[in-house]
Amino acid sequence: MALKNIEKQLNILDYALSSLWRRRAKSFSILLVFAAIIFLLASFQMVTQSLSDKAKQVLAYTPEITLQKMSAGRQEAIPLAYREQLAGIFGIRRVVPRIWGYYFDEVRLANYTVMGMELENMPEGARLDASLANGKMPGPEARGWVFVGHSIKEALNLDERYTFSLFRPDLTLKAFTVSGEFSRDTDILTNDLIVMNLADARDLYGIPAGLVTDFCVYVANPKEIDTIAKKISTALPSVRVLTRPQIQKTYQVVFGWRSGFGSICLLAALAAFVILAWDKASGLSPEERREIAILKVLGWETSDILATRFWESLIVSGLACILGMTAAYIHVVYFAASLFRPVLMGWSVLRPDLHLLPRMAAGDILLILAFTVIPYLAATVIPAWRSATVPADSALGG
Amino acid sequence: MIIECRDLIKTYPVENTMVHAVNTVNLSVNKGDFLVILGHSGSGKTTLLSLIGGLTSPDSGQVFIDGVENWQQSDRALSTMRNSKIGFIFQFASLIPTLSVMENILLPLSFGRNPAGSRELALDILAQVGLADKARAFPSQLSGGQQRRVSIARSFINCPDIILADEPTGDLDEETEKDILELFRGYNEQGTTFVVVTHNSDLAATQKGARVFSMRQGVLSSQDA
Ligand SMILES: Nc1ncnc2c1ncn2[C@@H]1O[C@H](COP(=O)(O)OP(=O)(O)OP(=O)(O)O)[C@@H](O)[C@H]1O
Ligand SMILES: [Mg+2]
Repeated sequence: MALKNIEKQLNILDYALSSLWRRRAKSFSILLVFAAIIFLLASFQMVTQSLSDKAKQVLAYTPEITLQKMSAGRQEAIPLAYREQLAGIFGIRRVVPRIWGYYFDEVRLANYTVMGMELENMPEGARLDASLANGKMPGPEARGWVFVGHSIKEALNLDERYTFSLFRPDLTLKAFTVSGEFSRDTDILTNDLIVMNLADARDLYGIPAGLVTDFCVYVANPKEIDTIAKKISTALPSVRVLTRPQIQKTYQVVFGWRSGFGSICLLAALAAFVILAWDKASGLSPEERREIAILKVLGWETSDILATRFWESLIVSGLACILGMTAAYIHVVYFAASLFRPVLMGWSVLRPDLHLLPRMAAGDILLILAFTVIPYLAATVIPAWRSATVPADSALGG
Repeated sequence: MIIECRDLIKTYPVENTMVHAVNTVNLSVNKGDFLVILGHSGSGKTTLLSLIGGLTSPDSGQVFIDGVENWQQSDRALSTMRNSKIGFIFQFASLIPTLSVMENILLPLSFGRNPAGSRELALDILAQVGLADKARAFPSQLSGGQQRRVSIARSFINCPDIILADEPTGDLDEETEKDILELFRGYNEQGTTFVVVTHNSDLAATQKGARVFSMRQGVLSSQDA
């Protein structure tokens, strides 16, 4: 009995395959549209997922509190002397001065981000050592040593050589030696970054002694970030205090808005697809209705007819899923999700060769399947069911 | 008794009135009978065949096939009954256009039976209807009469006990019609029961021993002497 059932299902499967083949043009076009939708959904999901992973990374390296001096609404250099006022505030673990800015390379027409800090003073965990692919951090005495991000290495051709020079404001050249390179996992943060000692950055930008661009403040207890930030504001009224939760919030708002926008577009596309599928399927052509009627007359059960429909849809949607997901993976990994980047990030903010590690949770895959395969199955099986349950003779005429 | 109809009534709503397509039909058919049902267009012949074959449910009354009431059984049992006991020949071409002649003929065997030997059987039956060379053709490549003969061949493929034929020779020339009727007679002599619907009264005359009925406005009456 069970064997007979399997044999019957195989026959039904065979019939489904051959009927897909008989309508190959139609089947193929549905397959393509279906795969495209899954491709879009899956790419989008992978990109947003891996971007929020990146965001977490960025935040992990963001100091708990950043201090900038403001004057006339603009940022200006902050005197190192301010450190003394901070020393009195309870709960601050460490204050690390930083000089950072942009460097426009007129030869290569590229923008670099230069960051100089007292590396040896950074607290454990906030250090960038962990993100190095090779080499090591230069020690406090090692002048002229830097470590660089991936696109800097490319731009400056640092494969063959280890040294390069940048112009000071007075157009004299300052030489650097590469001591290490950031891992590509931290691209979003380090891609265009040149990290050096505070003294080297001061030299490069010609910033007078006693001034830096900002302070990184690390606290003993992260729960007290807000309280400490308030205390700093009171102690140093001309200083802008940025906390990590604030940055996180801004980031989430921007990111959320962008991905929300993307989701709406995708949902619209999905809805269009469902409507299309429904329309295609519910408007069973007279030939299809006739075919169902003939099969019924010849002794096929309603459930057999539904089973052929079900297999057909399952084959189409299964193939579409495999195609769409594979294409999405290739798109995200090898083409860096180039279709979505304008929506999700904006070209100017991040480098075009940003390296994304796609991550896809099983739940996401299920969600995508639920939003595509199930409506499609419903849209194809239900009309066949309606057509298979009406008296067969009405379709045959007489 | 292989077929029994009791007080069968089937009406269709047409505009504001109800058309009695089949009106209180009582009929008993024994195994091996050859029935010819004559009637004008619209007299309810096709409707009666659909009721007997369990394709349409009656408004009231019952149809028994081998003692089992059609609509008292599950969809599965009814389908199995149709598949194994009844061969349908429809008034209009009922081939699936995207399947070849051979595939169309094999459709009733698609599952539940061992396909071994079924191709040979199909070729044999095709030869009997004079289309041995058309196995690979598609319906669109055949004439109306040839398509009709393919559906006749298909109705015989699973050796049914009953053949329900709706104008089986409607679009055949006299010569081919004779061959087909000869074929019917052959099967009938081996015990297959036939219910043949037609408006060609000559057909009744040529089929010796046939029980002849006429149908008028849904009412069936015997023409037997
Ligand atoms: N599905 C249907 N819906 C509405 N009316 C129907 C339907 N099928 C048949 N009828 C009506 O029932 C009556 C009998 O139809 P039926 O098809 O049984 O006639 P017939 O004897 O087979 O005619 P013909 O010789 O032209 O094939 C006709 O008046 C027809 O209009
Ligand atoms: Mg008719």
